[in-house]
Amino acid sequence: MTALLALDFTFLSDTWSFVETNFDELLAALRRTLQVSAIAIAGAFVIGLVLGAARAHRIPVVSQVAAVYVEIIRNTPILVQIFFLYYGLPQIDIFLDAYTVAWLAVMLWGGAFNTENFRAGFEAVPDRLREAGFALGFRPVANFLNVTLPVGGRIALPSSINTYISVVKNTSLMYVISYPELTTTVLQIQALTLETVEAFTVLALSYLIIVWTMSALIRLLESHLALPEAFK
Amino acid sequence: MIPAWTNDVLRYMLEQGLVNTLKIAAVALVGSVVVGVTFGTLLTIKFLPLRAVIRAYIEVWRGLPILVTIFIIYFALPAVSLSLRFDALTGAAIGLILWGSAQVAEATRGAVQSIPREQHEAASALGFGWVGRHAFVIMPQALRRLLPPLVSLLVNIIQNTTIAQVIGVNELLESGERSIERLNAPPPIGLGEIHSFEILATVMLIFFCISFPLTRLAAYLEKRLT
Repeated sequence: MTALLALDFTFLSDTWSFVETNFDELLAALRRTLQVSAIAIAGAFVIGLVLGAARAHRIPVVSQVAAVYVEIIRNTPILVQIFFLYYGLPQIDIFLDAYTVAWLAVMLWGGAFNTENFRAGFEAVPDRLREAGFALGFRPVANFLNVTLPVGGRIALPSSINTYISVVKNTSLMYVISYPELTTTVLQIQALTLETVEAFTVLALSYLIIVWTMSALIRLLESHLALPEAFK
Repeated sequence: MIPAWTNDVLRYMLEQGLVNTLKIAAVALVGSVVVGVTFGTLLTIKFLPLRAVIRAYIEVWRGLPILVTIFIIYFALPAVSLSLRFDALTGAAIGLILWGSAQVAEATRGAVQSIPREQHEAASALGFGWVGRHAFVIMPQALRRLLPPLVSLLVNIIQNTTIAQVIGVNELLESGERSIERLNAPPPIGLGEIHSFEILATVMLIFFCISFPLTRLAAYLEKRLT
């Protein structure tokens, strides 16, 4: 028992010294992961909002194009999409650097899933609410902004945050294009120092802290933004 | 019109790559369902320590990116003990099972809890024990509700098998990558040509042809349920 405890303490102090020794690299890597995620999440939010509204209101042409985009992204692996953007496109003279592919790939992926989230949210808004809006004299765009968006947006919020969580997790795949985010950086340090267990402990904990914080946020928002009974 | 190399490349990708992709996906699906249904059902027992352990299992493997999970199994476990060494294909399958079973466990918990308690009581009255009650009365009903998420899970598993490429498994994506490199090599080995665009587009197309019918099926099952 004492031996086991001693083992645990050395492991903990080893892990801490791993963080201390490589603090600057790890911090820069974490910042890149968060930066790429933030850009992708903001983009996915706009894509989801616009295309989700187009899908829910069956706006001609835009709706069909959005449907094709959503089906292509949802039915192909994101890893292949990353490979295609980084290794496939240069053949037709489109050159994207690792940073651009990093945020673009997860943004396109998150945008497709978010389109479905928002479409479902907008379609879940009861017709009588929209009719009430029209009765008050709102034009279609004003009706969307004042009635469908606030109500449907709330309905879509939990599932869209789940998509953002997946976006953060998917940034780890940028390892394959050597973009120095968290996973790539920790694996590079591990290859140099051979502190394998410490490296993967730090890597796993970093992702779990980010992901768990975001899911706690969902629970918080769910109770805070729950729709009153009259809107259901 | 169609260049001569396409035939060889396509055959290689379908016979080597696709077969390995489907092999990993099949193992991962069966493993995820067996482990996930068991854990999900156990999660409905009101015994706190057991629930805490399963809850931790779900939150950890659902929270980690699958790439990190596979790295941990393939690189970190052998560093802890040499007996925990797996070949790349097994390591990838285990990683997918850890992630997939966490998804299934969560869905199973919801499905089992959605069965009215009268069903439990009626089964008990007929003399079923806990195991028999769940195996013969509750699960057959819960499975109906579980079917749409399981089809979605299959789609996700098939797509996530590509992550095995990172640790060198020759699945569909890796077989495409190897074909690109071979064609890029100077003659007589290759053609000295770059065909990454066509080959990666083909990989996407093959995945699309598998996934699209399955996502339609999941949507149909979901709709029929409600």
